Amino acid sequence: MSFLQPLISGILTGGVYALAGIGMSLVFGVMNISNFAHGDLMMLGMYLAFFAFTLLHIDPYISLVLIIPISFFFGYMMERIFINKVIHHPHQNQILLTIGLGLIMSNTALLAFTSDPKILTTTYSSSAFNPFGDVSVSVPLLLSFLITCAITIILYFFLSKTSTGMALRATSQNREAAQLMGINVAKMSAIAFGIGTALAATAGALIAPTYYIHPLAGHTFLLKAFTICVLGGLGSVVGAGVGGIIIGVVEAMSSTYLSSDWKDVIVFVIFLAVLLLRPQGLFGKKGGQ
Amino acid sequence: MKNKFVSIVAAALLAFPMLAHAAPVKIGFINSITGKEAQIGENLTNGAAMAIEDLKAKGIQVELVKEDDGGDPKNALAAYEKLVTRDAVIGVVGPYTSGCANVVASRADQYQVPLLVPAAAKEEITMKGYKNVFRLNAPANVYSQVLMDAVKAFKPKTIAFVYAATDFGVSTVKTAQENAAKMGLQEVANEKYQQGQPDYRPSLSKVKAANPDLVFLVSYDADAILLMRQAKEIGLAPKAFLGAGAGYTTAQFAQQTEISSLVVSATQWTDDVNWPGAADFGRRYKAKYAKEPSYHAACAYEAMRIMVETASKAKTAPKLRADLKAGSWNGILGPVKFADYAGFTNQNNHPMLVQQIQNGKYETVYPAQFSKKALVYPFKR
Amino acid sequence: MKQIAFLSVLAAGAVLLPLVIGENPYVIGILISMLMMAALSSAWNILGGYAGQYSFGHAAYFGAGAYTTMILVTLYNLNPLFCIAVGIVVASIIALITGSIVFRLRGHYFGLASIAVAEVVRLSVLNFNFTGGAQGILLTDVALWNLDLNSKIPFYYGMLLVLVVTLSITAYLRRSKTGYYLQAIREDQDAAASLGINIYFYKNKALLLSAALTSVLGSLYGLYIRFIDTSAVLDLRLSIEIILTAIIGGVGTLWGPVIGALLLVPLAEMLRSNLIGDMLIKAGLVSETSGVGLFLKGSLANAHVLVYGIITVLCILYLPKGILGLFRRKK
Repeated sequence: MSFLQPLISGILTGGVYALAGIGMSLVFGVMNISNFAHGDLMMLGMYLAFFAFTLLHIDPYISLVLIIPISFFFGYMMERIFINKVIHHPHQNQILLTIGLGLIMSNTALLAFTSDPKILTTTYSSSAFNPFGDVSVSVPLLLSFLITCAITIILYFFLSKTSTGMALRATSQNREAAQLMGINVAKMSAIAFGIGTALAATAGALIAPTYYIHPLAGHTFLLKAFTICVLGGLGSVVGAGVGGIIIGVVEAMSSTYLSSDWKDVIVFVIFLAVLLLRPQGLFGKKGGQ
Repeated sequence: MKNKFVSIVAAALLAFPMLAHAAPVKIGFINSITGKEAQIGENLTNGAAMAIEDLKAKGIQVELVKEDDGGDPKNALAAYEKLVTRDAVIGVVGPYTSGCANVVASRADQYQVPLLVPAAAKEEITMKGYKNVFRLNAPANVYSQVLMDAVKAFKPKTIAFVYAATDFGVSTVKTAQENAAKMGLQEVANEKYQQGQPDYRPSLSKVKAANPDLVFLVSYDADAILLMRQAKEIGLAPKAFLGAGAGYTTAQFAQQTEISSLVVSATQWTDDVNWPGAADFGRRYKAKYAKEPSYHAACAYEAMRIMVETASKAKTAPKLRADLKAGSWNGILGPVKFADYAGFTNQNNHPMLVQQIQNGKYETVYPAQFSKKALVYPFKR
Repeated sequence: MKQIAFLSVLAAGAVLLPLVIGENPYVIGILISMLMMAALSSAWNILGGYAGQYSFGHAAYFGAGAYTTMILVTLYNLNPLFCIAVGIVVASIIALITGSIVFRLRGHYFGLASIAVAEVVRLSVLNFNFTGGAQGILLTDVALWNLDLNSKIPFYYGMLLVLVVTLSITAYLRRSKTGYYLQAIREDQDAAASLGINIYFYKNKALLLSAALTSVLGSLYGLYIRFIDTSAVLDLRLSIEIILTAIIGGVGTLWGPVIGALLLVPLAEMLRSNLIGDMLIKAGLVSETSGVGLFLKGSLANAHVLVYGIITVLCILYLPKGILGLFRRKK
C-alpha cells in the first residue's frame, strides 16, 4: 500500500483539526482560559451549516459567510455575559464554567434537534480523484483544507497588521502591560473569544459535509484541539496550524502502520512528551507558561 | 447537620406511600433517554409509547413509570431499585444498553420482579440462569450467524472485520470469528476503531489491500455512513458488505443510496416481513413520528405489549414471572416464547432477518420463508 | 474538644442511619452514592484543595482500583480485601508515574497533562484483552467472611469508613508540617521552594495519598455494582464530577466536599428520576394532564443534564468559593 495515501488523508484531516486548534489557542493566549465548550461551539457551526443547506439551500462552504459573523457574535456575547465574570478566578472555576456552558449548549441542541444524527449530503460528499496512481484524494476534504489555509493566512495578517490584531497580541503577551498602554483588555477578550468561536464554528461547518451532525459531535474534537494548541504552543496561530497537521498525520500513520485502536494513545503520548521536553510547545516562546 | 440533612432527604424520598394494589397495572420502563445511546433510546421510547396507546385502545390500562439511565449502569441500578421499592411495579421493561441490562439482570432475582430486556445484545444477560430475566431479542452471536448463513451458498473464501471498539462491536465480532472459522473463511484483516473519528481511510485502505471477499462491519449511527462513504472514496469493493445491525439498519443509511446500495445487514425486524402486524406497525409509526421505525422500536413495542398484557392478567410479580415463562405470543416480532436452550435461560429464540438495500429500500432477503426478494451477490457499485 | 464531640455525634448518626431507615435499597443506594462522592471529592481535595494541584484525571485512580479488584476477584477469586490492597499498589504506581510527568508543569499545562494521562489509562484498558476491553467485567459472585454482599449495608459502612479515614487524614494534615508545606506550595510554589521545601516530594506525597484513597473507593464501587467498564469508572466525566462536587461545597476546606456531595448527588438523582415533577403532580399542585404537567413529565425528564449544566454555571458565577465560602464571608 502506498505511503502517500495515509500521508495525504492525514494532512487533509489535520487541516480541520488545525482550525479547531487555532481558535482554542487564540482564546488561551489572550484570555488564559482553557475553553472546554470549544467542541460544542464546533457543533454549533455544524448545525448552522446543516440548516443553511437544508432550509436556505446554500452550499456549506458558501454558508461560511453567514456562519462566521453569526458565531462571532455568539462568542462575543458569551464572553460578555459569562466568561468575563470569571476572568480573575482560579483556573478550575473557569474550566468548570466552560464545561457547564458546554453542557447547556449540547443538551439544548439535544432537546431542539433530537439525538438523531443529521447527514449533510452534498453532490461531492463522497467524491474523490486520483492524482497519483491509486492514491485517492477526497474532494470535500481538499476544499476544506484550502479554505482552512486561506483563513489561517487572513488571521495571521489580521493579527500582525491591523491595530485590533496588534492589541490582541499585546494582550496575549502581557495583560497588565497592555492595560497600562490603554488597550481595552476586556474588549480584546470578547473579540478573542468571538474569533475563537467563529473559528470553531467554521471548523464544524467545514467538516459537516464529510462528517455527521449531532449534539455531542464536537466532543471528539475537544481533546484534539487541546493537544494541538499545546503542541503548537499556547497562543501561537502558526503553531496550532502545524500542530493540527502533525496530529492528523500521526493518526493516519499510526492507523496504517500500527493499529487503529492505539492511535489516540500515541497522540496523547506525543502530547505528554512535548509537555515534558518542550513545554512551551513547538512554536511557543520560552517562559510563556 | 449531616444526618439531619440526610434524614430530610430520606424523608422526602419516602414521603409518598407505595400504591401497591392500585387499579391499573404498574410497569417500569428503564431506557437511555440521555447520554451516548440517546438516539436509539428515542426509538425505544416511541415504540413503547405506541404499545401503550394500542393497549389503551384495547381497554388495558397501565401506569408506566419511565426511568432514564443515561447509559450508566449505576443509574440503571438506582432506577430499577426505585421502581421495585418505591413505585412497587410488578414488572420492568429495559434497560437498553448491555452494560445496564447486565447490572439490573443480576439483581432481578434478589427483588423477584421480572425484567424483560427488549433489545440488549450481550449474550451473558440470559446465560446466568436468572429466573426473573427474560429477553425478547436475539443475542449478539445470531447477528453474525445469520449473515454468514445468508452468503454461505456463494462460497466466499476470505473475510475482514471492521468494527467499533464497543461492547456490541467486540462481542459480535468475537462470535463472528467463531462462525467464520466454522465456515472455513480466512480472516485477512481486523480493524477495530474508536467511534466518532472523522477519518477511517487508513483502516479501510488496509482492508482494501487485503482484498477480502466479505467485509463484516459493526458500527453505530452515522459512523456507518462515514465508513461507507470513505470506502467508496478509496474504492473498497468486496463481494459483500455485511453490516451487523445498529448503524447499517437505519432509514438514514438506506437513503444514502450512492453508498449504501446492496449493503447486506442483519436485523431483528423489518416492516416487510410476514409477521402479524409488522407492516401495519411500520406504517403507523411512520405516520406518527415521521420517520422509519428501527428494529429497536419494534422490539420495544413488542416487549411492552407482552409485558403489559401478561402483567394485567397476572397482577403480582411471581404470577407474572410464571406467566411469562409459560406463555407464547405471536405479534410484530413473530412467534415469541421464552425458552431454555443452549445455555440460555428465558431467551426468546428469535429468528433474525437479513436485509439488503435495493433501490434505496430495505428488502428482506433471508431466511427464505420470510423474504420476498433474492440476495444480490456479488456487490457492485 | 467541642469539635470532637460534634464529630462523634455526626459519626454515630451516620452509623445508626441504616437502622433507622431500614432495608430500603433505593434510599441506601443513594446514600452510598453520596458517601462515595463525598469521599472521592475529599480525597481529591487533599491534592486539589490543599496543595492547589487541580487534577482532572482522578478517574484513572478510581478505575485502577476498580479494575485491579474486579480482575483479581473474577479470575483468581481472591479475598476482596487483599484485592483492594493490590488496587492501592497499582493506583500508587500510576500516581508516581503521573506525578513524575505532571508535577513538572503548572497551571493549564498541569490540568491538561492530567487529562492526557487519564486518557492513556482509559484507552489502554479499552484496548487490552485482560481488562475485558470494551466488554467490561461482570462479577457474578463474591464472598467476604459471612457478609451478605447482595445487601447494600456492608457497602454503606465500607464507604462511610473510607470517608471517615479521608476526613481524618485531611484534618490531621491541616495541622501537620506536611499540611503547612502543601498550603505554602498552593499559595506560592516558587516562594515555597525558596524556603527549602522540597515541592516535588510534598506534591507527590499528596497525590499518593489522594490516589490511594480514590482507588479504594473504586474497588468498593466495582464490588458494589458488580459490573465495570471504561465509561463507568475511567471516564473524564467522573473526574469532572469529583471536582465540581468539591468546588460547589468549597475547595480547600474540610467539610466542603462532603457538603457538595450531600447536595449534588440527591439533586442529580431527583433530576434523573424526575422526582420533582412527580412530587408536584402527586401533591396535587399540578394536574398531570395540564400543559405544565405534561411538560414536567415529558420534556423536563429529558432535560436533566441541561438543568445540571445550568446549576453548574450559576454556582460558578455566584458561589465561586462554594457554599462554605458563602458562610465564611458572612462571619
